[in-house]
Amino acid sequence: MIANANTQRHVDVLIIGGGISGLQAALDLGDQGYRVMVVERRPSIGGRMISLSKVFPTLDCASCITTPKMSAAAHHENIELLTYTEVDSITPGPDGHTVVITRKPTYVNTNKCIGCRMCEYACDTEYPDPFEEGLGSVRAVSVAFTNAIPQKALLNPDYCLACGLCLRACPTDAIEFDQQPRQETIGADAIIIASGFQLNALTVKPQYGAENSRNIISPLALERLLAPHGPYGRVLRPSDGKIPGSIAFVQCAGSRDQTIGVPYCSRVCCMYAIKQAMLLSGALPTADITIYYMDIRAFGKGHEQFYQNARAMGINFIRGKVSRIDPADHDDLLVHVELTEEPENFLRKQRHDLVVLAQGMIPQWNPSEVSPVRIGTDGFVATPDPASPCSTDIPGIFVAGAAAGPKDIADSIAEAGAAAMEAGAYLYRHHVADKRPPTVALDVALSPVGARSG
Amino acid sequence: MAGKINPNLHLDIAGYGGKDVDLCMNCGTCTTICPLSEDSGGGFPRRVIRLIQTGRESKLVESLDPWLCYYCGDCTTNCPRRANPAETMMAARRYLTARYDWTGLAGLFYKSALAEIFAILAVGLFVTLLFVSLHGPVILQRVELNTFAPVHWVEFGDWIMAAVLSFFLLTNSLRMAWWILGRKKMLRISPLLYIRQIPVFFEHLFTQKRWRECGSEPGGIRWLKHLLLVSGYLSMLTLVLILLRWFQTDKIYPFYYPQRLWGYYATIAILYPTADFMISRWRRKEPIHLFSAASDWIFLVMLFLTALTGIMVNIFRVNGLPMETYVIYVIHLSIAVPMLVVEVPFGKWSHIMYRPLAIYLAGVKRAALQAAGKSTGQTAAAVAA
Repeated sequence: MIANANTQRHVDVLIIGGGISGLQAALDLGDQGYRVMVVERRPSIGGRMISLSKVFPTLDCASCITTPKMSAAAHHENIELLTYTEVDSITPGPDGHTVVITRKPTYVNTNKCIGCRMCEYACDTEYPDPFEEGLGSVRAVSVAFTNAIPQKALLNPDYCLACGLCLRACPTDAIEFDQQPRQETIGADAIIIASGFQLNALTVKPQYGAENSRNIISPLALERLLAPHGPYGRVLRPSDGKIPGSIAFVQCAGSRDQTIGVPYCSRVCCMYAIKQAMLLSGALPTADITIYYMDIRAFGKGHEQFYQNARAMGINFIRGKVSRIDPADHDDLLVHVELTEEPENFLRKQRHDLVVLAQGMIPQWNPSEVSPVRIGTDGFVATPDPASPCSTDIPGIFVAGAAAGPKDIADSIAEAGAAAMEAGAYLYRHHVADKRPPTVALDVALSPVGARSG
Repeated sequence: MAGKINPNLHLDIAGYGGKDVDLCMNCGTCTTICPLSEDSGGGFPRRVIRLIQTGRESKLVESLDPWLCYYCGDCTTNCPRRANPAETMMAARRYLTARYDWTGLAGLFYKSALAEIFAILAVGLFVTLLFVSLHGPVILQRVELNTFAPVHWVEFGDWIMAAVLSFFLLTNSLRMAWWILGRKKMLRISPLLYIRQIPVFFEHLFTQKRWRECGSEPGGIRWLKHLLLVSGYLSMLTLVLILLRWFQTDKIYPFYYPQRLWGYYATIAILYPTADFMISRWRRKEPIHLFSAASDWIFLVMLFLTALTGIMVNIFRVNGLPMETYVIYVIHLSIAVPMLVVEVPFGKWSHIMYRPLAIYLAGVKRAALQAAGKSTGQTAAAVAA
């Protein structure tokens, strides 16, 4: 066996991250007969994409693309999903990698839980919903969100009062207050890092004063406001619930800015701002929508046309980087900008009801803290070989999606497929060299690995 | 010349210390962060940087904007490209000083520290030789400075120097005014406007009050130090040019007599700020002092040494040390004269003229535009209320 003696379980590929990249790679590998394990930090798979409203440039429903993939992965016989699980360490070895993971306690026995939500209905305590970017609230014990997978309840010990209401409500006695974190060791022949991105803080530029105004919001929060099943069911601004009449998109608010250490372009902000502006003009037909930009980078397939459509729809595009945002009365905001294309009267303090900051994309997870995988100067996983864009500098460890750099959904899915292919080829070489059968011979006739090595 | 493009303008500016012009991607952060730009309506620093990037040399020499910037450094702190707009504005001021100067010496001194140092040494040596060959009797029994260097001769030299330097500074200033107001002949400006705005010139010459609004960080302290420095050397100029017969005496007056008190004030008012600025430049404490060109250092060092040797003349004189007094007096003048000759018309010092003149010209221009019924647009600069 490849696996080290102390490993409890062994898989062909371990994928870190259950977002769209990780799921796509898992499905591509699982369909080829490889045994795949997906390790996800959050209580549900689906990543960032499942919280989006629509995708650019087609305006397709985001969850209509994500949910089938989540579901397919959950029901795939070759894919095992470990949610609410952190990666503690990765030790590469000539005979496969050893990964130590921690299953965080959910305080709900997932084998017993049937997702009936009786506990959630019974619970008396609420906290700001992380899935709704803090705009809505969620019970201290609840299923992560409507279309979460797995549909299992999760108890948040930071807010739980241990009153026992859920304990009494649960029909299957699944609530277990005494759960402990559980460490496991997994052997994996190949690893794909698909840990995705996070946005840098709204407050990263103090000039924008986001700490003092609830009406300066994250684009992810606006996604939730625009989503049909969002926190308010409509677009309202957070401070007072007013319907915003004037909305500003401040582009490059967290990237292309050396003063905050993010000199690179986050690549998706131009397009999602245009998309959100379009959706907003549908949701709020009388609102003034302004996008303050330095350059519109509409480089992808169909992107330029999408941008031109937005201009034609009457969305204001103003070239100039916003330098400062000051609070105004009635919770409004004053956006300071130079209209760089105007010859006169170009210094403006424009008043807006709601401001969306295009925060920069930064890595969600730094693998170099727990493994020898090297990261680049930008913090994303380094891919030193241009001829093998999904390979890290460790053989058998691959990277896909936004973990390797800012990327949109279409590019992430394409790269996940490429990473799966590179991992598959690596495993094939490995197995043939070993002259050993694959870990799992499901259907040898259908499995290319089995067919070739058998 | 009008409308001509100089594709190498950004290289010229780099020669004056603005090396990061090409990094700018024209986002406008600097202009909106600038506390003075809005009043002035000029759209600096970005629009000045844009002129440099696009090589619009004639527009740049017609621009007042560089003189309306007092270098708080907020733009450089906030610049997302680290394109250093504040230093570009500084380089633009050096460039303009060089362009206004018809002798070409200003450009030479700014671009070559060696040339500047050589010029200072040459003038200093000339002054020393002048004293060595022409000094009066050296009396060693008591300090008789007016015998060694008779005050009417020194005063005569002062006036000749003042006349020559004023000639250069004024002709350069006239060129500046001509470029900004006259050359294009687009504005009809009544002479009355020029006269009516004159108080503005002196107001800003003596107070530099716009500077107080500049910058979010030091909160006027830097302006106060600079004001102290200005009061110091304006005092010195008054004492040396107008009141020298009253100031340079062999009779030792009591400490509290006005010529001594005024002299001590001027010394402190020069020594303290120059020392403070040098320390700040050395330690790079403030944004304005992050980048120091050779010309910045030379100016500060010369000013400091002038005041230091000046007070040493006083100390030796009061303590009755004749030879020491005479020697340090020669050294004092061998530093003060080259500093004035090099810096006043051709160097950093000229900004004492150009800055208030720029505000004055902006006021004239704005008034003329208003009189012409045109909108006060980008060309009009505000005169502080």
